[in-house]
Amino acid sequence: MPILMNTGIDIELSFNNALQGLGFSKSFAHMLWLPLPMLVVLTAALIGVLATVWLERKISAAAQQRVGPEYAGALGLLQPMADGLKLLVKEDIIPAKADKVLFTLGPILVVIPVVLSWLIVPFGQNLLISNVGIGIFLWIALSSIQPIGLLMSGYASNNKYSLLGGLRAAAQSISYEIPLALSVLAVVMMSNSLSTIDIVNQQNGAGIFSWNIWRQPIGFIIFWICALAECERLPFDLPEAEEELVAGYQTEYAGMKFALFYLGSYINLVLSALLVSILYLGGWGFPVPVEWIASLFKQSIDQAFIQVITASIGIVMTILKTYLLVFLAILLRWTTPRVRIDQLLDLGWKFLLPISLVNLLFTAALKLSFPIAFGG
Amino acid sequence: MVDTLSQMLNFLNKVSEYTREAISAGNYLLQGLSVTFDHMRRRPVTVQYPYEKLIPSERYRGRIHYEFDKCIACEVCVRVCPINLPVVDWVMNKETKKKELRNYSIDFGVCIFCGNCVEYCPTNCLSMTEEYELATFDRHSLNYDNVALGRLPTSVTTDPSVQPLRELAYLPKGAMDPHEINPAEARAGKLTSEIVDWMKNNSNQNSTKNKTKDSDKQGD
Repeated sequence: MPILMNTGIDIELSFNNALQGLGFSKSFAHMLWLPLPMLVVLTAALIGVLATVWLERKISAAAQQRVGPEYAGALGLLQPMADGLKLLVKEDIIPAKADKVLFTLGPILVVIPVVLSWLIVPFGQNLLISNVGIGIFLWIALSSIQPIGLLMSGYASNNKYSLLGGLRAAAQSISYEIPLALSVLAVVMMSNSLSTIDIVNQQNGAGIFSWNIWRQPIGFIIFWICALAECERLPFDLPEAEEELVAGYQTEYAGMKFALFYLGSYINLVLSALLVSILYLGGWGFPVPVEWIASLFKQSIDQAFIQVITASIGIVMTILKTYLLVFLAILLRWTTPRVRIDQLLDLGWKFLLPISLVNLLFTAALKLSFPIAFGG
Repeated sequence: MVDTLSQMLNFLNKVSEYTREAISAGNYLLQGLSVTFDHMRRRPVTVQYPYEKLIPSERYRGRIHYEFDKCIACEVCVRVCPINLPVVDWVMNKETKKKELRNYSIDFGVCIFCGNCVEYCPTNCLSMTEEYELATFDRHSLNYDNVALGRLPTSVTTDPSVQPLRELAYLPKGAMDPHEINPAEARAGKLTSEIVDWMKNNSNQNSTKNKTKDSDKQGD
């Protein structure tokens, strides 16, 4: 198994070897390599956000029997670019009585942890920035920085709506972090590892049948609900409920500072969808294991040609699963009404928390009694 | 012992009730999702104004048209108007002992387009048009004098820069999207003129029948 796990394209190794072949030192090659995956992932995240914004607008329009953006580019594909450009050239306003330092720091603190979390998102066996041993835990830790930024910007705006929105965001994030972490814990218990790579590998034994969604159906639902709450998407968008709070903590923000919030929320949505597909839908795994298909055609899995195909299939599958979940989130947005703040906290503390605890204990029991199926 | 057992049962009952509620809530959510999903395959109802415009119906009450030469300055339009809006500026010619009309104006910033003036005009010099784009930069330019009132609006169907679209009630039977119909195809149901023809034919037949009956009676 360990030998099989290390198959797959290792671009880093080939890159380093190539540079060393040109006569550079090993450390210099590593230094040259380091920024590349970061840039690639950052670009991927941004393009993912642009695609999500476009999809959101088009799907929302379709659900309401409208046309949606149409004139900016073919099918309005350039509309998110136009939005971004508009925000870029807008005046950067800081209200006179706002706390200037906190007001500026707020959106930065919201965006950085979300972008940093892409560190642990794998698109293939070796296609991630860093295979951190505490992978998924790093994400949970980083995502709990976000409410501080929200609270900060809500407080610094010196506006009652902003403050209420910030407080709601903090309350929401704190209450949904716990069931989220507990349902992740159940998955981690089955794969015996916090690393996202190991979690995906543990699901890829028998294709679609070994995905965690069959072993953790309740955990999947809890995780998805909590992820929506963390992203502040409908039905959990009370921090920015426009009918009650103008725009919540974003009320006083304009221009690029607002764009950071906007970007952060969409990067977070894509990230949550990615993590759901990694934790429960087999990550980059094809519904039928690629090894089986290769052996069906009597090809060795180690061939360079097959390797490239496998890697491409992995990337496509990850993106496909992610965008299916994004689509579900958009559909849910136009289906469900917004919950009240007391209903939100009720759902978090009185429903999701006990159920996720029961789910965790149940998984532990299953792991002890059926170690083959539940990762002994 | 019995107490603890009944407590256990009570607890289990509560758990099962809770589970049932959660499942039914999920079920309702799925029903809602299916409704939203179904909406996505429906066609958009958008009319791309100003590139596309709906053809106003034949009874559309738009801006009022006025023919100066037909007007006899009787001021019936002023009397039937809810707010006495039309201004009829006339003088008495003492030699001919007739009214001489100088000016006529209606302020469309105040008009409610009820159509009473058109209804009661004895000489039919007033009529309703299908024009509804009355926006101006100044509300005073909404006060139309007899020259402005005499202009004919550009019809949606003849304007080369506009794609005319039929309203839902004017589409052929079964059609839902005005973009996809054959322009030669008639609307669902009968046209007013067809109904009038049909009624005329029917009444003729009835009267001939009655006549034959009468003649029969006379024969008796």
